[in-house]
Amino acid sequence: MSASAAAGATPVMDRLISRTVEKHRPLSVHFDLTYRCNERCVHCYLDHDDHGELTTAECLKVLDELARAGTLFLTFSGGEIFLRPDLYEILSAARRLHFDISLKSNALLVTPERAARLRGFGVRRVQISVYSDVPAVHDAITKAPGSLERTLAAIPVLLEHGLQVKLACPLMRENLMAYRGVMALAERLGIPYIIDLTITPMMDGSSGPLAHRASVSSLLPVLRDPVLHACKPQPTALAAVTMNALPPAFQSAVSSGIESQAYEDLPCSAGHNSCYISPYGDVFPCVQLPQPAGNLRREKFDDIWHHAPKLERLRAIRESQLPVCSRCEIRNYCERCPGLALMEGGDLLGAYERACALAEEKARLAGVANPLSALHREQDAASIQTPIEAEFASLVSDSSSD
Amino acid sequence: MNTAAAVSWQKNPALAWREIDDETVIISPNDSVMHELNETGSFLWKNIDGKKSAAELAELLAETYDVSADVALSDTQALLEEMSSRKLVMTIPERRVSS
Repeated sequence: MSASAAAGATPVMDRLISRTVEKHRPLSVHFDLTYRCNERCVHCYLDHDDHGELTTAECLKVLDELARAGTLFLTFSGGEIFLRPDLYEILSAARRLHFDISLKSNALLVTPERAARLRGFGVRRVQISVYSDVPAVHDAITKAPGSLERTLAAIPVLLEHGLQVKLACPLMRENLMAYRGVMALAERLGIPYIIDLTITPMMDGSSGPLAHRASVSSLLPVLRDPVLHACKPQPTALAAVTMNALPPAFQSAVSSGIESQAYEDLPCSAGHNSCYISPYGDVFPCVQLPQPAGNLRREKFDDIWHHAPKLERLRAIRESQLPVCSRCEIRNYCERCPGLALMEGGDLLGAYERACALAEEKARLAGVANPLSALHREQDAASIQTPIEAEFASLVSDSSSD
Repeated sequence: MNTAAAVSWQKNPALAWREIDDETVIISPNDSVMHELNETGSFLWKNIDGKKSAAELAELLAETYDVSADVALSDTQALLEEMSSRKLVMTIPERRVSS
């Protein structure tokens, strides 16, 4: 589950998403510039060593290829992006190529000078992870003493320089009830936030971070909290101007990210109009779906994006055709992630325990009587069937021995 | 003075934008407002280069699309004014037109 103060999609965004999904344009790209980091968050899914990051020239070449492929929304992340000494050079190139630029950072290294430079490079928004408004809780997760104080000090600096700031609060065992404080902090600062329950395995598939994942039963107070469900879409400003002799030429709306009903029967945007690029040039459908489709040191982005077999297979998936989930009566309550289905259940098309358990709890809280996911229904049926089959086999065996 | 001929137009350099399959999406970073231009709007947007006037842009529009010169000029001026009011484009008033 994620609850967000950010807006849902607007008609302009919906049309853009529909067009880019239909024609497979990489509208939105998440580009990790480094996995090196100055924090050591307990739940992090990354290996923080440098295994050969893309050089500056390679990064600029990637940006050029993305611009030509049609990418508009570009998020630079890490690791901690300020640890890239060539960050400004990369941002400058992104500015020249007219990307809409967002950053993800822990903001520990933000100074007024750096904030001014970010603004000068056209950065629109910085998303910052804040795990709690209590220093001891936040710092225990980042393993960086004093990190909350420094992160919070950076937020007004960024705001004063005209950058938008969004707080992200991943919830785990260590900060399960801290979201209220983070929400209150965001509201005091007048900035949006996102509460995220997703804790993923390492990118190599190892399960270390999952030890920090809150159990579904411990999440019940969070799921029940009416405040989270009160996160309403922001108002939409829609303007249309019709040219006299030509079709409507110009429409506007508040930009709000890429969540949209336009994805319809698709599991998510991954591989359809969005993808992830690692610091080593690997192209993945999504940071949570670590199946490399190709590498930008060896291939051009366009060739990977349009021809990689892994992306083609992903694009063929429709939720209505998933072998188990398509039969699920509570799928409207489910936030199944294909990447997590692969990493946790071993099957990109399959159901996985965590999503099913969360969907059942959400359905129950919404008033559905005895909600049962298709996965659990089939498991129950199998557990009943197995003893009957065993008994039958025993009877057959007994009769044949007569 | 013919304003359409004397004033050239340029894009606001602070904007993010991308042409995707003949349509252009523009985002104002200050307010996060997203603007959408259709094919003909995108055609004009591509040709707004800090040098051309509304009249020159309209001439290009009429050459490319099936529309009369008068209508092309009227539509071009209307679009430029609308985009100007949204701070997507701005004029360069110092431009001198050779007579």
